[in-house]
Amino acid sequence: MKPLSALRGIAMAAILATVSLLSPPAAAQTAYEAKLPPEVNTAPALCDYVPCTDVLPGATSFSERKGQPPYVEGYAEENGQRKLIGYVVLSTDVTDTPAYSGKPVVTLIGLTPQGHFAGIKILKHSEPILLLGIPESALTKFNDQYLGQFVGANIEIGRSRPEEDMIGLDAISGATVTVIAQNQVMMMSGAAVGRQVGILEATVRPQANFADRGRKLDWATLVKEGAVQRLTVMPEQVGLPRSSEPFIDLWYGYLNHPEVGRAIMGETGWRDLMARIKEGEHALFVIRTGGNESFKGSGFVRGGIYDRVQLRQGQDVFTFRDLDYYNLYGVSAPGAPSFNESAIFIVRSPAFSGAFPWKFIFLGNRIDRETGARTFVNFDREYWLPSAYLEGGRPVVKKPDAPWVRVWKTRAVEIGLFAALLIAVAAVYANRDALTRRSTRKNKWPVNAFKYSAWIISIGFVGFGLLAQPSITQVLTWFHSLLFQWQWELFLTDPFIFLFWIFIILTVFVWGRGLFCGWLCPFGSLSELLYKVGRAIGLKRFQFALPMKWHNRLKWVKYAVFFGLLAVSMFSMGLAEKLAEVEPFKTTFLVGLFNRSWPYTLFAAGLLGLSIFMERPFCKYLCPLGAALAMPSTFRWFGLRRKQECDSCKACAVGCGSLAIDEKGRIDHRECMLCLDCMVLYTDEHACPPLAQERKRRTKAGLALTPIGKDGYYIPIKPVAPAAPRA
Amino acid sequence: MVDPRILTEAVEPPYAGGGAASRLLSEIWDHLWPWSRNGFQHQRFVQATGLALAAAASVAWVLAAMGDMTPGAIIGWWFGWSVFEVVVRLGSKPYVKDGPWWGSRYRRASVMDMICYVGFKNLLIGATLFLALKSLGLVQI
Repeated sequence: MKPLSALRGIAMAAILATVSLLSPPAAAQTAYEAKLPPEVNTAPALCDYVPCTDVLPGATSFSERKGQPPYVEGYAEENGQRKLIGYVVLSTDVTDTPAYSGKPVVTLIGLTPQGHFAGIKILKHSEPILLLGIPESALTKFNDQYLGQFVGANIEIGRSRPEEDMIGLDAISGATVTVIAQNQVMMMSGAAVGRQVGILEATVRPQANFADRGRKLDWATLVKEGAVQRLTVMPEQVGLPRSSEPFIDLWYGYLNHPEVGRAIMGETGWRDLMARIKEGEHALFVIRTGGNESFKGSGFVRGGIYDRVQLRQGQDVFTFRDLDYYNLYGVSAPGAPSFNESAIFIVRSPAFSGAFPWKFIFLGNRIDRETGARTFVNFDREYWLPSAYLEGGRPVVKKPDAPWVRVWKTRAVEIGLFAALLIAVAAVYANRDALTRRSTRKNKWPVNAFKYSAWIISIGFVGFGLLAQPSITQVLTWFHSLLFQWQWELFLTDPFIFLFWIFIILTVFVWGRGLFCGWLCPFGSLSELLYKVGRAIGLKRFQFALPMKWHNRLKWVKYAVFFGLLAVSMFSMGLAEKLAEVEPFKTTFLVGLFNRSWPYTLFAAGLLGLSIFMERPFCKYLCPLGAALAMPSTFRWFGLRRKQECDSCKACAVGCGSLAIDEKGRIDHRECMLCLDCMVLYTDEHACPPLAQERKRRTKAGLALTPIGKDGYYIPIKPVAPAAPRA
Repeated sequence: MVDPRILTEAVEPPYAGGGAASRLLSEIWDHLWPWSRNGFQHQRFVQATGLALAAAASVAWVLAAMGDMTPGAIIGWWFGWSVFEVVVRLGSKPYVKDGPWWGSRYRRASVMDMICYVGFKNLLIGATLFLALKSLGLVQI
């Protein structure tokens, strides 16, 4: 096979694939970064702007947004009468939980009056993986699993566990983070409506027994002990120009506790308040000490709900109507700050308990500076009466695990195996000297046994099994997350990729990119394994490497691809994600060669086909991830060893599959895959010319063959000076 | 005769041979100050332009700290300066460290070596400054 014609074929496939993927889809209209009318987030008539009938089939009319968080009721005409047939909720009215992109998946959810999911529609998402690679229909199919399920059910990603009453959902391969976030959104949204309309019963919590030590507390003490808390929102947090003045600065506290209540309202005021509220009801005060925004809301109407503040305890949300509001005319505690707005809110639900932690939530809208669109956002702060304020101290509260913790727990065995693999490969490589000394040019099995095992495990277990193929898209995503919104939880949700990157970062600085690229990258391993298999089955005579002159020109292409992607990502992450299809990883591992349209399959299959005849063509010339890792490899701590004679000897360079050794015998660690072939020769006394020469000389002279030192030469024989004759 | 144990020929920066502490300080200075007397003697225009561009990039950071510059503009300035820093350093301090960072082996920098060095160094400096400004609430996203 002629090298350049083969490359030309691959280039054609790449061009065809690029043209295909950059062309707009013919029919399918995707929700990727779909433009939603700004009214979606604020208009009372939600269903005028979103297709509510799609998620609540049969509904002919809808109410305006009601409740907090808001939802709408859907009605059908039956015998001339309006009948409630369900509810519709916009997910971003309930939670702004971000998915992998760092932005929420805007979902419209329909519920039956009995609390079962009736319909789900993705209105907008920013998930790069669903732009290409995995079809958007996969998310629709994932959502379909909720249809008919009860909003109060225990639903998780993974296997069903009937013994624990847990319903499992099939994840989307390669989009685990997205579906975990989506599950959280679905269950929170369903529960938010369910609790308001009585489908879900509120949790009953034991009431607090307050410890009254009769102290007269000043403001500073209240704050220091945590009995009064502060919630500050800065203008930039809601998309307004930065200012030293807060958007709103609130202080709040729980008034049922005698010491807190007396300190804030005075003895008489507090007793009057306690007399006004019934047993099992709770009072809290709120004052505004900074900012011009009203926490009561400028649009509040009589009989309505205060839509800017609420409490959350566990899954229960408590909102306030006009009857739940009392005036607070002053704060008695010495040292209290001056304030320009105040209120006492009453929680009239037995579900609330002052003994347990709760969150005070300020609900706001973030304004997108570019589009002017408003999106829902909430700011909260936890409040929990200090132990000393409660008889017997704080009760034990078992908080549910965060989603990423659940992932780590449920996949603990696989995570353990994967971590063991990474540690084992690093340990084997750290002991490379012992392995290369046991190997010879003709028998490299002491090294290859480990390397080939790593390849096979990497392809089967890591690539096809765990779908843990690192990609340049992750580098781009992290880069953007660093700039815009870094969330550890997001990255921890995919434990394999998370661990893999820790391994990659550490080993790149210690040894260079070769340990990952040459030993553990699933696609790289598959590529070189195909080359080795090709040679083993008699295709050696068709195998080739590009002339060094062409290699030295083409190796720069991968750097251009990397910088190109980085530059494009600054302007359009979506386009960068599309162009990142230059990596055939999604096609090979995440989606499957036969599950994609033909240009992708042709491109990936072409690269793998070429790999049979040329060693790692993608890694050498195209891989943007390889380029990104090659650059810091310039400053790896420990390189491979060379001898002075390597400047004229070509023995290693001829056998270097990575073409990383130049005509002067120098190794370019940016290109080296750490196959260790040259290190095997380095100590092979029959294959390394300087060593072989010395071996022959010593044998001829009858001198001992001393062990080979770290410098690659026999340890010199130093004649011992004859002992001086005794006088 | 070429030394195959090192990718480009070994060189010694002016501060080579000093004690560990003075070498560390000199290296920190090297990372932050790309110009040299020798560079000015050989390519006065490039070095002077580099100084002007560095001053402009510094002003861009100050404007960012005052809230008058968007993240995209800061990144643009920093990237632009980084490209020019490669040119400046190739004329003034054309060497990079080889091997362990705590060692004292230096070698002549090729263009790619310098791109890697400046790219990596400025990514760290830029990220640190950016995160510092962000955590202080001086840059808005």
